[in-house]
Formats: sequence, C-alpha cells, structure tokens
Amino acid sequence: MHRLDAILTLAGASLRSEFQYRANVVTSIVGGLIYQLTGFLVVFIIVDRFTELGGWTLPEITFLYGMRLTSHGIFYATISQMFEFDRVLINGEYDRFLVRPMSPLVQVLTRKLRVNCFGDLLGGLILLLAASRGVDVDWSLAAIGMLLAAVVGGALVEGAVQIALGSLSFRYLNTLQIRVVANEIFNVYGNYPFRIFPGLLQYLLTFALPVAFVAYLPASVILDETNGLHVSTTLAVAAPVIGVALFMLALLFWRRMSRHYQSAGN
Amino acid sequence: MTIRANLPAWVEIAKANIRWQYMYRFNVLAGIVLTGVTIYLLTIVWKAAFGSQSEVDGIALEQMLVYLTIANLQLYFLRPEIAGDIQARIREGQIGFDLSRPASYPSQLFASAAGDMIGLLPMVVVAIPVAFVLGELRLPATPADGLAYVASLLLAWVVAVELNMLIGLVSFWTLEMTGFQMVYTLVGNFATGALIPLWFMPDAIRAVVQVLPFQAIAYVPVSIYVGEPATGAIGSALALQLFWAAALVLVIRFVWSRAFRHTVIQGG
Repeated sequence: MHRLDAILTLAGASLRSEFQYRANVVTSIVGGLIYQLTGFLVVFIIVDRFTELGGWTLPEITFLYGMRLTSHGIFYATISQMFEFDRVLINGEYDRFLVRPMSPLVQVLTRKLRVNCFGDLLGGLILLLAASRGVDVDWSLAAIGMLLAAVVGGALVEGAVQIALGSLSFRYLNTLQIRVVANEIFNVYGNYPFRIFPGLLQYLLTFALPVAFVAYLPASVILDETNGLHVSTTLAVAAPVIGVALFMLALLFWRRMSRHYQSAGN
Repeated sequence: MTIRANLPAWVEIAKANIRWQYMYRFNVLAGIVLTGVTIYLLTIVWKAAFGSQSEVDGIALEQMLVYLTIANLQLYFLRPEIAGDIQARIREGQIGFDLSRPASYPSQLFASAAGDMIGLLPMVVVAIPVAFVLGELRLPATPADGLAYVASLLLAWVVAVELNMLIGLVSFWTLEMTGFQMVYTLVGNFATGALIPLWFMPDAIRAVVQVLPFQAIAYVPVSIYVGEPATGAIGSALALQLFWAAALVLVIRFVWSRAFRHTVIQGG
C-alpha cells in the first residue's frame, strides 16, 4: 500500500511537470491523435474500397484497430520510458535509482510522461466507440468484461516485450533500435486480421513476437470470428491472462539481467 | 560568382554530413529494417485486397506491388533530417555560427541534406535486396521510363528537402514542435502516396492531395516508373514536379527572410 502511494506520487509528479508546458501538451496530444488517425486512414481506405479484408468488414477492422490503439495508449502512458532506458544507463542516472528504497524499474518508468499517449488513448476510444455499433456483437456484461481485460492485457503484452528487450541494455547498452523495430511491428502488423498473413508469419507473430495477443486474438473472440483461427479458441480467450503471464516473465528477466549492470561513471 | 565562392564551403558541409551517416550506421540499418517491415506488410495487405482480381481500376496487381516497393524504398533515401538539425542548432545557440557564414543559411542546409543523402547511398546495396525479397521489384517497362524516373527522382529529392526545410524554419518561431513534426511526418508520408497511390484514394481525399506538393516526392516519380504517369504523360508529370520545386524556392525565400529577423541566439 505504501509502495503504491509512492508510485502514484512519482507518476503524479511527472504528469505535473509535463503540464508545465501547456502549449506543448496540447500540440502533442492533438499531434498524437492526428498521427494515429492518419495511420487508420490507410486501413480505412483499403477496406472501404474493397469492402472487406480477409473476411473482416470495415467496422470489424475498425474495432480491431481501436482495441490495438487503446492498448498501445495504456502501454505508452505507463511503459514509454523504456524507450529512454539506454540514456538512463549511459548517463549514470540509474546509479541514483539504485540508492533509493524503491524498485529501480518503477523509477525508470515514472521519470517522465510522454503526453502524446493521450492522443493514442483518445484515438483508440474514438475508433472503438465508432465501431461498437457497426459490429455484430451483443454488448453483454461478459463481452464488455472481455474487452476491458483484453485492452489491459494487450498493454501488458507490449510492456512485457519492451521491458524484456530493454533488459538487454544492462549487457549491451545500446539496444534502442531493436525496441523501435519491435514497436513498429506491433503497431502495423497488429491492425490486420492475421488470416491475410502467410501461415509462417501468423505463427511467428504469435509465438516469437506475441503481436496476436494484443488485439487480434481477443478481438476474434469478441467479434465471433474464431472460425479458422490459426490457434485454438481457448488460447484466444486466454489472451488477457497471457498478457499478465508475459509481463511477470519480463519482470523476472529484468531482475536477472540487472545483475549485469555496470555503472557508467565513478 | 557567389556560387564559386561558396562551393568549397558547401562541399565541406556535405562531407561532414556523409561522415555523420557513417557514425550512425546502426540507425541507418534499423531504418532499412523498418522499411522492409513496411514493404512486406503493404505487399501482403494489397495482395489480400486484390484477392482473385488481377486488375483493379486498370492497375494490375504486379504494377501495384512494384509501385509500393519502389515508393517505400525511395522514401527511405528521401528522408531529409534538416528540420531536426535546425531545431537542435537553435536550442543550443549554435545557429549564430551558421548565420555568420558567408553562404546563405538555406544553401548550407541544402549542402548538408545532400551530404546526408550521399552518405546513405551505399545502403542501396542492402536496401535493394531487402526490397526484392520482401516486396516486388521489376525493371521499368521501357528504358525511356527508366530515364524519366531518374530525372523525376532527383526532383523528388529537391522537393523533399525543401518541404523539410520549411518545417525546420518554424523552429525560428517556436521550439515546441514535437507534435507538429509528428503530424508532418505522417500526413506528409500519406500525402506522398507511398502508402496508397492516388489512384486508389477516395475522390475527396485525392482532390486535397493533388493540390499539395507532397505527391512530387513519391507518387509522381513512382507512377512514371510503373508506366502510369501521374498526369497521363511523362512530360507534364515532370513539369508538375518542376513547378513545385521552383514554387517552394520562393516560399523558402519568403519564410527565411522573416525567420532571419526573428532569430534568437540562445546562450552567450
């Protein structure tokens, strides 16, 4: 409880410090929103022109995109500092985190907030709302519960991958580019029904890089598109749980790799 | 006269930027991976979209795939970074040195962009095989198309640099432009036609994109390459690019004359 308090205080401080620059906050959020909606525009134009993609209709793909983007927004709001982690190690900031009585990882994650995450969240919610009426889903409590769990689970999957890859920096210092590439793969391949991918790619993006668990698998369950899925429906339903499991594994991996830390300064 | 006097300076600026590209070779390689990721995805998606049709709106699937591959491949080489450089120079106060040089600041920026591009050129050796494996590469239909494409590619580079420079000059008024730059990058990418060629854009969107200069960066040259020139004929397509290249020179001159008066040199 005491720890949670400290985390919230740290997160609040980074939020307030960001809002000191109000003009930048507004342009970053609006910029983030336009950025994401332009990305969606590409998908929209293709699906609108050809009426469907891999058997999914426009509202279904909009829904998938909305789920992926909302997860990404949650991920970005909480874990985005992993993208700065190399710098934290190289300039010796990590030494300071080690002497404080709190998990260094939490301190890394709360050191700054990237406000454009609100643009992602806003964009994701707009798409979800817009699509929710067009898709053929009975919005029962179970369906809403699945959606909420899936969106959080998706953020955990992305977080797990970024934390695990970031842990490599304890040994190799400069691994940012790997994370950027992984992030890009999540961001672009996660928006499409996997049915259009070649078989091998479907499996790679499920078991090698768990992109499928962010949005495609849970969305298939909610939209009742599980016929012909490349994995069992049970696995698709379990996506949120897998998100939690992957995140725990990533934390273990982080702890292991952090033993390799060598201070940059003296 | 001024060209001869300034030439050695421009050459040195370009050389310095060539070395920079080599220093950042890991970023440069990651850029190729990202380009490959995009090309592969677009290939899959458009194949799925075409489905069993071999031709849509008079565009063959193969033409479409070659278009997407070439467009994204060349976009990798036509990504000037001067906007970020201008911002950094102003933030650090070094802009004062740049402005005190006899060569005009925009001409220095052009030289550095040229250096960036030349430094990237050796990556063709990596980028083309990547694009070949992940996308669809074919030679242009006729040698004439190929020659016109090369000319068009050069003009595309000029327009890309000009637009990037204009965005960068905004930092003379405000340094808070992360959001602004994000929008420019993606809206710009979209409007070049590299993700969706203008043929397949809905009428309303195409009407907007057609009056913007971005199409000169990807759509115009690549549509020449695949034998479907933007305006119907190669000559008028090149003229369109030439128009934008020239018009943007005037815009840059105007904006620069304003920006210069607005210069704030940070630090002492």
